[in-house]
Amino acid sequence: VANQNGNMYGLTILSPIIDDPKLKISHDAALRIYLERLPRHAGSPFAKVSGTHMCRLVVMDDVVFVGSPATEEHLKSKYLIFNSNLYGGLDAYLQEMARKIPDVVHDVWSHCVGYPGVTDPQAFAAYMKKCQIETTFYFADVNGKTVEQTLQALRTKVAFTAFIEENQGRSPVELQREFAAFWERLRKLPPPAAGAKELTW
Amino acid sequence: MVKLNLFDIQGFVARGYNFPRAGFLLAEILDCQAGREFVRRVTVRVTSAERWERGKPPSTLNIGFTWKGLRQLGLPDATLLSFPDEFYQGMRARKHILGDVGKNDPANWEPVWKEDIHVWLAVYAQTADELARRCDEMGRLMRETGGARLLYTQPASAVYINGEPTSKEHFGYTDGFGNPDYEGVERNTVPGQGKLTPDGKWAPLATGEFILGYPDEARELPACPVPYILGINGTYMAYRKLHENVASFRRYLDEKGAQYPGGKEKLAAKFVGRWTDGTPLELSPDRPDADLVKDPSRNTNFTYAPDPDGARCPIGSHIRRAHPRDAFGFNGDLVNRRRIMRRGLPYGEYTPPDQPARDEDEHGIVFMALGTSLFRQFEFVQQQWIAYGNDARLGNDKDPLVGWHHGGSDKFIVQGTADPRNTPFICGSLPNFVEMRGGEYFFLPSLTALRLIADGSVDPR
Repeated sequence: VANQNGNMYGLTILSPIIDDPKLKISHDAALRIYLERLPRHAGSPFAKVSGTHMCRLVVMDDVVFVGSPATEEHLKSKYLIFNSNLYGGLDAYLQEMARKIPDVVHDVWSHCVGYPGVTDPQAFAAYMKKCQIETTFYFADVNGKTVEQTLQALRTKVAFTAFIEENQGRSPVELQREFAAFWERLRKLPPPAAGAKELTW
Repeated sequence: MVKLNLFDIQGFVARGYNFPRAGFLLAEILDCQAGREFVRRVTVRVTSAERWERGKPPSTLNIGFTWKGLRQLGLPDATLLSFPDEFYQGMRARKHILGDVGKNDPANWEPVWKEDIHVWLAVYAQTADELARRCDEMGRLMRETGGARLLYTQPASAVYINGEPTSKEHFGYTDGFGNPDYEGVERNTVPGQGKLTPDGKWAPLATGEFILGYPDEARELPACPVPYILGINGTYMAYRKLHENVASFRRYLDEKGAQYPGGKEKLAAKFVGRWTDGTPLELSPDRPDADLVKDPSRNTNFTYAPDPDGARCPIGSHIRRAHPRDAFGFNGDLVNRRRIMRRGLPYGEYTPPDQPARDEDEHGIVFMALGTSLFRQFEFVQQQWIAYGNDARLGNDKDPLVGWHHGGSDKFIVQGTADPRNTPFICGSLPNFVEMRGGEYFFLPSLTALRLIADGSVDPR
């Protein structure tokens, strides 16, 4: 399955955006404005959906003409593209979106054709999957680890580098004692916040 | 085989002169007509790349222009618009790409860089008297023609030790080993200086990587301004005045060198990838080797394949970053389009190691990088390999020596082995050893192009 590699899932969804010429502000324009203002990094609502390694929302207006002969082609509609590199199963992920960030989900997908609402997570997941296309190729950067494992590994790297720098050259006995203390401290730390941009120690 | 027109290429472009003294003059073109007259009178004095059959001349003269300078000299809009973006924008505007931020921000550069710099003149000379004479001559041409105004003269000089010029820079490293070999240049290929061939040998790079108008490594002609004759036999140059914090460097090396099991000298070598006398760590990891340094068939002749983990030459060391050779695999193909031709000379007073140094004293290096694409070559090396570490799998670590370490939290990892004198070591809290004091992008035209500019006959149609 090209969408999946181990526990990693590369999700691509193209949701047609409602075309309503009667509106003062079109759905695609309203959606763009909303997305532009959505917080990023640690403040991103998608950081609350635990499986999200990375995700992206894009409004696609049309295809652009490239090259000759000039066969002009157009999309049947404007689309919202939703990409997510996520950990775990697709159904669970989409349902978690509906449960954890229902307001954002509603504000985004209510601009799209056929959106069933967010009150029934299963119905929302089924709707999203109807608009899914095959991803085939996606960014493989986390070796099948969860978001939490990845952040913890990054913090461990930062912390361990600092530990070496502080303790290099010590005697084996001192080193062992210092390392035990370091390890205890590191082990007891709560996991880093999802979406954190800088991991400090 | 490419045959270069050595009468048309500026000598400075074709090769390093290896003179002990230089003056770099920055000037403003005051008026188009008078400016052209100034260029005309300089052009007849410009040193070309033709062979010095009767030995080295007492001095040389070369010239380059900023985009604004070419506009001031009245080049047609269609020509001006055909130059690359980065040359049009100039070095100040490229600060985010180059990492010239914080203390290195153009706002903090020396005052002259806030002026309208149009012309760069380079005088190289054998003696201080000859240098002064040639610089005075340039000032006289400016006054007589009324075409240009001198803004700044940057003196530069090899570091003299016991009265003899050396290739040392102010930190004490021997500098200037190797420049890319390219086709058509009049010398034998030096192993280690061109590109790697599939059978592991070294061959010259395509001429078009360094001089406009010739095929490059993609077997294409590099992008050239119009008319073509304006570009051919010319090239671009990044000029950077890099201040060296000699006291900080010595203090840091003393402190960390006392902790590093290999000692201070070896740690200094690990920073650069060469012992301070120039011996490559890759070939002699345990001690400097004076014979090896002196042998041009050996002193740049190495690859990193035998040292994938950086146990000899650290992966983040200066020379392994700036010229990764085969380190990224694919037989070096990923680096062949990222090569720069270096010209450089120290400036300022040298402080011998046994005397107290000060950061704020005027000393550093005038660094100049030449190539047919500033964007693809100089800017890429600076942004991706010097100021970042991802290609070398070093995360966001920077070049320990010339990288800009904001916040003092940057580190340099010295890879090692189980050998107690070569253990791995982490140098943390890196201070800034090098600071940017100002710079610009210049176009160094051919002699034909200089005459066209002086004539006002550049015609893009």
